[in-house]
Amino acid sequence: MSWTWFFLLEKEFKQFFRDPGLPKMAIAFPVLMMLVFPFAVSMEIRNINLVVVDCSRSEASSLLIRTCTSSGYFHLVDVCDDPAYAQRLMDRNEADAILTVNADFEKELGNGSSLPVGIKVNTVNGTKGSIGSGYLTSCIRMFVAQYTAGGAGAQTSVSTSSPSIDVSPKYYYNTYLDYKVFMVPALIVIAITMLTGFFPALNIVGEKETGTIEQINVTPVRRSTFILCKLIPYWLVAFFVLTACLIIARLMFGYFCHGSLWNIYLFTALHITVMAGLGLLISNFSSNAQQAMFITWFFTMVFMLVSGIFTPIASMPRWAQAITWLNPMRYYNDAMRCIFLKGSTLTEVWYDALGLLAIGAATITGAILTYRKTS
Amino acid sequence: MGIIDVNGIVKKYGEKTALDNVSFSVEKGEIFGLIGPDGAGKTTLFRILATLLLPDAGKASVEGHDTVTDFAAIRRSIGYMPGHFSLYQDLSVRENLEFFATIFGTTVEANYDNIKEIYSQLEPFGDRRAGALSGGMKQKLALCCALVHKPSVLFLDEPTTGVDAVSRKEFWNILYRIRSGGVTILVSTPYMDEASLCDRIALIQQGAIFETGTPAGIVSEYPYGLLAVKGKPVYPLLQFLRTCDGVVNCFSFGSECHAAIDSSVTGCSRLQRELSGAGFRNFSVREITPGVEDCFLQLSIRKRDGMR
Repeated sequence: MSWTWFFLLEKEFKQFFRDPGLPKMAIAFPVLMMLVFPFAVSMEIRNINLVVVDCSRSEASSLLIRTCTSSGYFHLVDVCDDPAYAQRLMDRNEADAILTVNADFEKELGNGSSLPVGIKVNTVNGTKGSIGSGYLTSCIRMFVAQYTAGGAGAQTSVSTSSPSIDVSPKYYYNTYLDYKVFMVPALIVIAITMLTGFFPALNIVGEKETGTIEQINVTPVRRSTFILCKLIPYWLVAFFVLTACLIIARLMFGYFCHGSLWNIYLFTALHITVMAGLGLLISNFSSNAQQAMFITWFFTMVFMLVSGIFTPIASMPRWAQAITWLNPMRYYNDAMRCIFLKGSTLTEVWYDALGLLAIGAATITGAILTYRKTS
Repeated sequence: MGIIDVNGIVKKYGEKTALDNVSFSVEKGEIFGLIGPDGAGKTTLFRILATLLLPDAGKASVEGHDTVTDFAAIRRSIGYMPGHFSLYQDLSVRENLEFFATIFGTTVEANYDNIKEIYSQLEPFGDRRAGALSGGMKQKLALCCALVHKPSVLFLDEPTTGVDAVSRKEFWNILYRIRSGGVTILVSTPYMDEASLCDRIALIQQGAIFETGTPAGIVSEYPYGLLAVKGKPVYPLLQFLRTCDGVVNCFSFGSECHAAIDSSVTGCSRLQRELSGAGFRNFSVREITPGVEDCFLQLSIRKRDGMR
């Protein structure tokens, strides 16, 4: 019987490498995930179209404009002195933000009293709007700090009336707040989920559709052996993709895993178990590839959106947070980011392991139970 | 006890009864044909015997092994060829054969004698993907794969459906050679002309078997005389024949009508007179011996009327 395993696996690999798409995808997946998506799935906002309504036309105001544009985040569309014109530009979607500098800007700046500067932001794209206004505010703060420091040196005036608080945030585990670092482990999570949950499900349903599973069922090969031999190639591909992703991240961006690689592989193995159970559940309930695709698509969407990959779970409403407890990607993503960025060990992310184990036990039990029922 | 014993098998799909108290027995080394139209329940019965489906009631055994409790033993000793082509289309002819040999724990070489005759025809296409074979070749490959582990019982579900006339004939010759090796073959077919090629047959319709016996035996029990009437137009001819005295029933068979007659009432010459009297021209009436299809129709009518 032991040879049966070998021949079943041989057949799976033959079919895998003979498939017109799969082998190419196994190569293209990590490359795309690591070389394209870290740039595309970035929360960093650049090229914010800025219009300045400069009623002051002073040296100070032009310095402010220069400070903003030199930050690299803004693209200066126009400088005018008509607020209505600026508003029209925003209405036509040509401006994302309007910075209004009032006529007595330079004078007030010298006094050190409240600054007559207004910011208007286009929040059709919420993220761009809120982050854009944040950048703009910090640019102004930077300008004020520089200006008053420079002015103090020249004028020997008494200290400004308002006490200035110098806040300098320090970003832990991701010193430069680089979104790519943050997205690399998350993209690995997405790649592994796709590879280990959904492709095997489609493969098994494919055998159902062509009737070949019947032919196998009348042989002495046990169903569990057959199914396991279907899953193993995808697991190997998943570990290949994981390794390739880690190597590319290292070579291209110089990112390295701060924690133990063993832990990365351990959590990947746990996640694979969960996804295997889910994939089998899906294949039990679908009789053709179209159905399987649809269920798969549904789960992928839900899992991705409430996984904490794109939006923090803590900022979700309570009920949405409750849903995330059932989401294996949530645990896997959390563990991967913690291990990769912080160097967490099992003692720190044990709850993620526990979550994956619990969901894995549930999906695999469910898969086994429904498998018997449908046969 | 036969090699295959089917005892009161019932299978329901929801409200629909697919098999209704089916019983028969197949002896060692015979070709047993299950004859019936599409949807009669043939495939369901095959799936139960091949241990792929559980019956709702009744018992079946293959070589003394129960299909429910002892399915593992059955799977080792049977070859099953489903009605639709179900080999790996993306594997080559040779790879398919080797794969099915190895998962039974044997090799193609060890059983080469068993499949030599069929496989020799396939060998020139050894490297071709199974999906790229012609219909007849696919069936031969499927038969090879079902035979490669030397099964003692062979289940062939509609093996000749969709295969051309020459290939069908060839296929049956292959079956005879397999039988001569002592293999028991259960074969199903919707083609009545293939019924006479079997050693024994069971006629099945709407999930129930209504006759079992040798093709000759079933034909000999045909209770009426039979006339083949050829003429035009066909449909009015059929309609008219059904109204004639002594005609029990009448069905169209291709370009002819087969009329079952009560020989004590009517006959060839009387029918000819009646037809010309009704204005039919250029027709011919001749006496024929009934075929299995005539028996099938006759028996299915009797069964239907009996049920009323």
